[in-house]
Amino acid sequence: MTTANITLPTHPGASIPDVTVIRHTGSSRIAAAACAILLVAMISMPWWGQSGHIRWVVEFSVYLAIAQMWNLLAGYAGLVSVGQQAFVGVAGYTMFVLASNFGINPFLAVWLSVLVPGLLALPTYALLHRLDGPYFAIGTWVVAEAVKLIVLNIGYVNAGSGMTLRVMSQYTLHQREVGIIWLCASMLLVTVGGSYWLLRSRHGLALTAMRDNPVAAESQGVNVKRLRFLIFVAAAMGTGLAGSIYYMAQLRITPAAGFNPSWANICIFIVMVGGVGTIEGVLVGALIYFVADRFFAQYGAVYMVILGLMTLLTALYARQGIWGLISSRIHIPLFPVGRKLIGPSPAKTGGTP
Amino acid sequence: MKWLDALIQGVLLGGMYAQYALGMALMFGVMRLVNIAHGDLVVLLALIGISASVAFGIGPLPLVLILVPLAAIIGWSLQKFVLNKVVGADSLPSLIATFGLSIALQNLMLEIWSADTRSMRGGGIESASIDIGGIYIGLLPVLILVAATLLTGGLDLTMHRTRFGRALRAAAADTEAAAMTGVNPRVVYAYATAIAVGILGLSGVFFALRATVSPADGPAQLIYAFEAVIIGGMGSIWGGFVGSMVLGIAQAIGYRIDPGFGTLAGHLVFLTVLATRPQGLMSRG
Repeated sequence: MTTANITLPTHPGASIPDVTVIRHTGSSRIAAAACAILLVAMISMPWWGQSGHIRWVVEFSVYLAIAQMWNLLAGYAGLVSVGQQAFVGVAGYTMFVLASNFGINPFLAVWLSVLVPGLLALPTYALLHRLDGPYFAIGTWVVAEAVKLIVLNIGYVNAGSGMTLRVMSQYTLHQREVGIIWLCASMLLVTVGGSYWLLRSRHGLALTAMRDNPVAAESQGVNVKRLRFLIFVAAAMGTGLAGSIYYMAQLRITPAAGFNPSWANICIFIVMVGGVGTIEGVLVGALIYFVADRFFAQYGAVYMVILGLMTLLTALYARQGIWGLISSRIHIPLFPVGRKLIGPSPAKTGGTP
Repeated sequence: MKWLDALIQGVLLGGMYAQYALGMALMFGVMRLVNIAHGDLVVLLALIGISASVAFGIGPLPLVLILVPLAAIIGWSLQKFVLNKVVGADSLPSLIATFGLSIALQNLMLEIWSADTRSMRGGGIESASIDIGGIYIGLLPVLILVAATLLTGGLDLTMHRTRFGRALRAAAADTEAAAMTGVNPRVVYAYATAIAVGILGLSGVFFALRATVSPADGPAQLIYAFEAVIIGGMGSIWGGFVGSMVLGIAQAIGYRIDPGFGTLAGHLVFLTVLATRPQGLMSRG
């Protein structure tokens, strides 16, 4: 057990409870080790894996990242967006323009492209933050549609016919694979790892409080408005990063693909079916979606009917998703963000350090 | 003349949107329920109508008599088996539930009808038009606008003059208080959604006569209906109608400026209203 003694800020004169805070469990330490091993396997994959499998890993990483960004939005900030494709598309297009038209190294352009979805998020949020719940959701969708239609009318980015990333031909297949896989690994560290770090930090308490009851959180000193704004912008940038990487791997982007509402569908399915408000849930949901998309898409659209019905049933009968069903039966947190307080033992005396 | 024509065509286009917006104004504006599958239901009913007209050779009018009751049954079941389970302060579950339903419906329709676009033959009514001083006005769009106006007026009267309307407004305002006065909110909601979707039975036939239909068209219809309700103002039945006119005119003028600008012009008007008058044009305050 990882333990830490902390000093609780209390009023002068109040006795300070001698509590031990537990932040890890056996299962979470195994999960952390497994993540480290998987990350090493991932970044070394270009030297031992097949190209086809590398593409799978890229795809899966992208799903994981955009879903986790949506999870922060919906699960903690209470902001349900069905317009995340706006950020996927603008980041992808920015990367293509920077690399193709300005001659910037594409692997650097991926990181620079993240600024544009961040900037787009500012007016979007300014316009939509007054709307609550469903209004906000459909509002984000309208913004995404408007951005798509604007891009469709811009001749500079070839309007409806889209762009091709020809500059990638200067690299060998191996170099491209190393570059993209390393980008994916960094993306997962930033989006999923970053969320985990954020949720375990002091800010995580504020986020959890906001998730459970925004009004009560506000009264406890959490700046809900500011936090929501920051999460919206951060999620836009994280989603954009995933979009840039995805379209770099595709080597081609069109308005119809980049701004496809199915990006939002993917987020909603993964998070709601997997389990909203937990990192484990996103992992479970992303696995289900990836397997379904990979192996059942060849039999037509029937698998999407089933995924849609699964989303419907989760909303009706299991709001906490599959991970919620699992964790209500067995307690094996993989990415615990809570704090377990162990009371003072009678044998132990003296104050806290 | 070009702009007068755009204005007239815009009002006529608005008549089509007003039919979608009516059900949306009732569910979204009054009951505060989100139905993401609203547009997909229009498309489903239109496709059923087209297939039935081809298979049995029936005309548009008998089709309406079949599709409206069918749509009402679909609406009633949707409320009873899905939405009544997620009614509550938190609107996220109804959003997610109908979102899942929308995805399932779209892909089911894709499996049944494939991605082809199709249209309904109406025995000449779809192409008939009158020439008024050089402006051609289609008979069908006029019919759609008249139907939309009558339906909006009828629903507005129902909401304000009947027991059912009072019960619905009471249930929407305070579910528990309404239940104490003998209103069963779930039953009232089920009838209201039956009306909201029942109207789509008529809209589906008009939609299939007026334009081509494909399984992926639902989301666009949903967005138009949503924009109309927000532009007009929530909670007002006539608000959705006015919003539809504004949206239709914005799109028609946009198309005249540049064919690629039509739908975008509608979105931009919506976003402008949102930025400057978020409570909508018709609402007081």
